[in-house]
Amino acid sequence: MKNLVYILYFICLISNAKTITVGKSYPVKTIKQALTLANDGDTVLVTTGIYKEGNILIHKKIAFLGKNFPTLDGQNKFEVLSVAADSVVIKGFKIINSGHAALDDPCGIKVYDRSFVRIENNILDNNFFGIYLQNSKNGVVKNNTIKAYGKQEQLIGNGIHCWKSDNLQIIGNKISGHRDGIYFEFVTQSVIWRNISNYNIRYGLHFMFSNDDSYITNVFKGNGAGVAVMFTKNVKMFNNYFEENWGDSAYGLLLKEIADSYIFNNHFKRNTSGIYMEGTSRIKVEKNVFEANGWGMKIQASCMENEVVHNNYIGNTFDISTNGSLVLNTFNSNYWDKYEGYDLNKDGIGDVPYHPLSLFAVLTESNPSSMLLYRSFMITLLDKSEKVLPSITPDNFVDNTPLMKQLRL
Amino acid sequence: MRTFALSLITLLTLISCGSNEPKPIKLNIDSCDFCKMTIANGKFGAELITQKGRYYKFDDLACMVQFAKSNTVVPYQSFFVNDYLKDNTLISVESAFFIKSDKINSPMRGNMAAFSTAAQQGEYAKKLGAQTLTWSEVYNTYP
Repeated sequence: MKNLVYILYFICLISNAKTITVGKSYPVKTIKQALTLANDGDTVLVTTGIYKEGNILIHKKIAFLGKNFPTLDGQNKFEVLSVAADSVVIKGFKIINSGHAALDDPCGIKVYDRSFVRIENNILDNNFFGIYLQNSKNGVVKNNTIKAYGKQEQLIGNGIHCWKSDNLQIIGNKISGHRDGIYFEFVTQSVIWRNISNYNIRYGLHFMFSNDDSYITNVFKGNGAGVAVMFTKNVKMFNNYFEENWGDSAYGLLLKEIADSYIFNNHFKRNTSGIYMEGTSRIKVEKNVFEANGWGMKIQASCMENEVVHNNYIGNTFDISTNGSLVLNTFNSNYWDKYEGYDLNKDGIGDVPYHPLSLFAVLTESNPSSMLLYRSFMITLLDKSEKVLPSITPDNFVDNTPLMKQLRL
Repeated sequence: MRTFALSLITLLTLISCGSNEPKPIKLNIDSCDFCKMTIANGKFGAELITQKGRYYKFDDLACMVQFAKSNTVVPYQSFFVNDYLKDNTLISVESAFFIKSDKINSPMRGNMAAFSTAAQQGEYAKKLGAQTLTWSEVYNTYP
């Protein structure tokens, strides 16, 4: 009985809500006018057309919907859409030309300190920052297409920028041409799922001081410097693709000062370095594919207690490289295509331990220009003798149970 | 006359080798020598030159100071910092005026900005409610 009363109460609430339609052939011509007329719980439906109304501020709990992608133009002067109310839904707009490079970071859509805001199915084109969530909780950013035309030597904002937020869901967005595709700073308990972040100026995804997050099944391709996860702990990275990140300071995945994380089932293909690790500890790298990279993994001496197990290393110039002689990490049960041992008892595990660190990887680390001599006869000879009798490379840098067959990943 | 010109050119070239001029930072190409991030913002970059003439580039003033503090072996010659109001222009730290505020979002949370005149420093300190600093104060912010 009590429930029924509640249900009736909600039905009354719903029936009270009205829809205000905006458009040339409707009584309400401008969005700003509709926003003044609207109350909490109403819907503002915008029909096709180009709206140049400067900065549009939503300060009521409304659904703000576009029909056939009406264009909101910031004329390169304004922040286009500002949200200062909880539970706002923004759906189906084309948002273009926000202001550029001003000190207050103008955005396509910016949420100020609000919760339960939903930004879905929008097209953002040529904005300084795309979507900016500041101090907001339980937000959803889903299926947006965000594009900018940033060039090198030019200041440009991030595609999806999240700052001091919690419980966010970033799902199914396509981002390109921004500084960082997705940027997290002080963001916790959030998930990044099924996004495509390609050809951004700096990083496809960038984590700073953001604990307890996960990113799953994303594609990061051809970004200026790959993906960076820094000064963070407890991050889960599953099933992502890191591809085509070429350059002197470009890495498929850059890990710096991170701890207690799990890297599982990712693909690192055609990068200068697949993973670069510095100051990382207690990370498990499991069931990943490292294929056709310059360096599969670069592990700096400042890393400890990391576990690298059950990965495939295929066709990399160097599988692993390091800059020190101290080994505090374990590398077991991986498949290395450069392994030349045998398996007499046919248990699928090589009978001879494998040393993944080649002599030449150590030499190039301390003297990059020695790369010129790579594949020369003498180097091959030295490499072979080093494999048998390690002298320069640390002898405990070893996989004791190398796999004979490639893992199916 | 020709020998003179030639020797002059050689001399000039040699002098320019040991110069005390900062090398411009290439945005989105150069990476920070302390935090490894690619330098993308020309308002917060910094650069130092060692006495041996080696250049190190940073994306944040905080990175430069921490780098300088962590490495006491090589003596430093000079420090430079980006002018907050000019795009990617390096000025010497001795002639710069600093402010620090949580409203300034620098890449590595140093949250400091540098200006070339005291008037600009005052103006922005007022606008952002920031604290004003001298170079030695900035240098001693980090242990």
